[in-house]
Amino acid sequence: MASDPQMIASQRVVEDLASRLRRRQVVGSRQSALETLLVLRQVVSRARFSNVEQLVELIRSVGRRLVDAQPKEHSVGNTVRKVLHHIREEYRTATEGTAPTPAVTFSIAKFVSQGQPRRHMAAPRSDATSVPLKENDPDDPDSFARTLKPVLMEAIQDVFDELETVYDNISKNAKDHIHSDEIILTLGKSRTVESFLKAAAHHRNYTVIVAETAPSYGGREMAKSLSSAGISTFLVPDSSIYALMSRVNKVILGAHAILANGGMFAISGSLLTATAARAYSTPVVVCAGQFKLTPLWNLYHEYGALDFGDPSAVLGFEEGDLVDKVDVVNPHYDYVQPELLATFITNYGDHPPSSIYRLLKETYDDEDNEL
Amino acid sequence: MSDSAPKEGQPLPSSQPSQKSMSKAERRELQERQRATKAAQKQQQQNQAASSSKSKGQSTPQKKTDFGRPRSSSSAVPKDAAKDASGALDSEGPKTRGLRIFSHFGLPKTLGHQLKGDIHPAIIRLGLQFSEFKICGANARCIATLTAFKSVIQDYTTPPQNTLSRHLMTYLSPQISHLVAARPMSVTMGNAIRQLKLEISGSDIDLPEQDAKDQLCSQIDHYIQERIIYADSVIEELAMNKIKDGDVILTYARSSLVEKILIRAHAEKKRFSVIVLDSRPLLEGKTLLRTLTSTTPPIPCTYALLPALPSLIKEVSTVLVGAHSLHTNGAVYSRAGTAMVAMLAKEHSVPVMVCCETYKFSESVMLDAFGKNELAPLKFSPSETPKPHSNLEVLDPLYDCTPPTCITAVVTEVGLIPPTSISSIPLALGKTNL
Repeated sequence: MASDPQMIASQRVVEDLASRLRRRQVVGSRQSALETLLVLRQVVSRARFSNVEQLVELIRSVGRRLVDAQPKEHSVGNTVRKVLHHIREEYRTATEGTAPTPAVTFSIAKFVSQGQPRRHMAAPRSDATSVPLKENDPDDPDSFARTLKPVLMEAIQDVFDELETVYDNISKNAKDHIHSDEIILTLGKSRTVESFLKAAAHHRNYTVIVAETAPSYGGREMAKSLSSAGISTFLVPDSSIYALMSRVNKVILGAHAILANGGMFAISGSLLTATAARAYSTPVVVCAGQFKLTPLWNLYHEYGALDFGDPSAVLGFEEGDLVDKVDVVNPHYDYVQPELLATFITNYGDHPPSSIYRLLKETYDDEDNEL
Repeated sequence: MSDSAPKEGQPLPSSQPSQKSMSKAERRELQERQRATKAAQKQQQQNQAASSSKSKGQSTPQKKTDFGRPRSSSSAVPKDAAKDASGALDSEGPKTRGLRIFSHFGLPKTLGHQLKGDIHPAIIRLGLQFSEFKICGANARCIATLTAFKSVIQDYTTPPQNTLSRHLMTYLSPQISHLVAARPMSVTMGNAIRQLKLEISGSDIDLPEQDAKDQLCSQIDHYIQERIIYADSVIEELAMNKIKDGDVILTYARSSLVEKILIRAHAEKKRFSVIVLDSRPLLEGKTLLRTLTSTTPPIPCTYALLPALPSLIKEVSTVLVGAHSLHTNGAVYSRAGTAMVAMLAKEHSVPVMVCCETYKFSESVMLDAFGKNELAPLKFSPSETPKPHSNLEVLDPLYDCTPPTCITAVVTEVGLIPPTSISSIPLALGKTNL
C-alpha cells in the first residue's frame, strides 16, 4: 500500500502538518483544529479501504502521528476523535438502513434495568437497505469506499462548519449573560471572549476590565480591540486583579482545553483570577468552543499542560548580569479546578462543569480516548 | 486621599453656605451652576455617546477659585460638577458607570511649579524625587522626609515676636503640602510628621533657638534610629529564627525589610533559596534580585511574574512580604499583588509572614483597596500600551489591601503577633508612642 501514490500524497500532507505543529508554526486551538481537519479530509478522500475498521485504523494512525508531534495542542486530538465519531455514526446509519432505529421510549423501569439507552445495542438490519454496502468484496475492493466516501465528506464538512461558526454560536446568547452596567473582568486575548463581549455590546452598556496577563501581554490588544468596538474598557496590570475584584460582577475567561473532570487549561493567570473571584463569590464564566473538549484528566501535574514559554520574556538579556545567576519560570498555562468555575458557554449551549463528562460521552467514542 | 473640593458651588444642600453671605453675583453663579447640573443629569440619562475627545484634566482640584471651566459644547456636559473633587477627566461627556467609579483614584498629579511661599530646596528636591519614583518604598520615603526636615529646621530662623514652638509648625505646613502634591503621603510619613509636630509643640520656650533646633534634630534622629533602624534589626532577628535550612522563601516585589532579613539569614550561614515574584507596574523585584545575587556565595534565586505563582506555590515553605501600613482590623496595605500571593498561599497552607515596624500602624480600618489607593504615572507603562481615549483607560493601582484572614503572623519589633491582635499594640506601647 505504501507504493500507492495516493497514500504517499496523504502521508506527505500529514508529515507537513506534523512538522508545522512541532515547530509551533501552527498555534492556537482553533487554528490547529482547522488544519487537522483539512489534513483529515485529504486523507479520507484519498484513502482506500474495504471495511470500516481499516478506515478507522488509518485515521487513528494519522491522529497518533499528529498528537505525538504536539501533545500540548489538545484540539488536534479532539478533531481526530470527532471525525472518528462521525465516521462510525455514518457507517452505522448506512448499514442499519435508511429507516432509523425505532425510537426508544424512555421509561424509568427500562432505565433501571438496562441503564442508559445506547444506540450500539440496536441490531443492524442488513437486509432492505437501499444502498447495499459490500464489505470486503474480493471482486470490487473499492465499492465500499466509493459508497461511503460522499457521506463521510459531508460529515467532515459538518465539522468544518461547526468550527467556522464557533464564534457566532457562542455569541448568540451573549446578551442574556451580561446585564446593563455590569463590570466584567477578563484576561489576556481570547477571540472567543472578544466576540462574545462585542456581541453583547450591541444590546447592553457595560464596562470591561482587562488584565494585561504578563508576560504575553495579550490584554493590551484585547483592550484596544474592545474599546474600538465602543465598550468602555480599563486596562490594568495583573497585580491589581484582587484589588478590583470587589467591584467586578462577573469574570469571563477563555480556555485552551476543557478537561474531562470539568476543569480547564487556560492562560497563566486564570487560576489566580478564579481564586480571587471565589474569595468575593463572583461567578467565573468560561467561553469555549466544543472542539476544546478533551477526554483528559490532570491529576498529577501542577504546571498546567507542562508548557513553558520563553524565559527572556520574563527576564530578558538586558539584565545581563542576572541571567546566569537566576532561574526563570514562565509557565504558559494554568490548570483551573472545576470547583472554581460556574459555567461553560459553548457553541452548543451552556453547561456546568459537572456535566462535562456527559458532553464528552456524546461527542466522542470511548474507544478513541486513547488514540 | 484628601479631595480638595471647591468650597462654593457644590450642589449639595447640606454644605451650601448661607445665601446671605454670598454676594449677588455669586448667588447668580450658584444658580446657573445648579441649573446646568440639572440639565446635565437629564441629558446624561438620554444619551451615552462620548463624542468629544478627551481633554486631559488640567483642572486639578487645586483651582478652588477658578470656576471658569469651559462649558463649551452641549455634549461636553460636565456632569461631574458634582464630582469636581475627582479632578480627573472632567468636561468629558457623560461617562458610563464603570468609568465613573474609578474616577476617585485621581490621576497622578504633575508637580505644579506654583510654589506657594518659600519651599526649602531640600524639600523641592525631595518632591521631585518622589514624583519620579526615585525614592520608593514606605521606609525610604519616611527617612528621606525626616532627613530633609532636619535641614529645613537647621536653616529656619524664628521671626521676631514669634516662638519656635508655634511658628515652626506653620512654617512646615506648606513644605508638607508640597510633598503631598508630589505623591500622596504615606502612612509612615504621616506618623513621623505627627510625632515631629508633637515634639515641636512640646519644645521648651526658654531654650535659645539653636539649642531648640538641635534638640529637634536629635529627636528626629532618635526617632529614625529607634522606630526604624533598631526595629529593623529586631525584626531581622525574629524572622530569621523562622527560616530553616532547606527552606524555600517566597517574596513579592521588593520590601526593604525582607531584603535585610534574607541577607542577614544568609550571612548567618542558613541555606535557603528564594523565589522572587514580580509584576508591573513597578517591576521592583529585579532590584531585589540584584541585591540577593550579589552576596557571596549568591543566594539561589528563582524569578517569575505573578501569574506563574500557582505553579511555584507547591514548593514554598514560607511567604515573607513587607507592608506599607497595617490597620486596626488587621488588614495589610501593601504593594498591589500582595493580596493574591497571600490568598493563594493560604489556600495551600503556606504561612504568610508580614514584616512591619510598629511605626507603620494606622488607626483607620481598611476594608478594600478602593478607599485609598494611588495610580502609577503613565511613564511606567511601556510603549506597547494602547493610548487612552474616550473608551479606554489605563489604570495602574500601586497598592492593595490584604484581608487579615490570609495572613498568618505579623513580625514587628515587639514580637510575632497574629493579625487580629494588631489593634492592641498601640495600647501596649503606650498610646503616645504611635
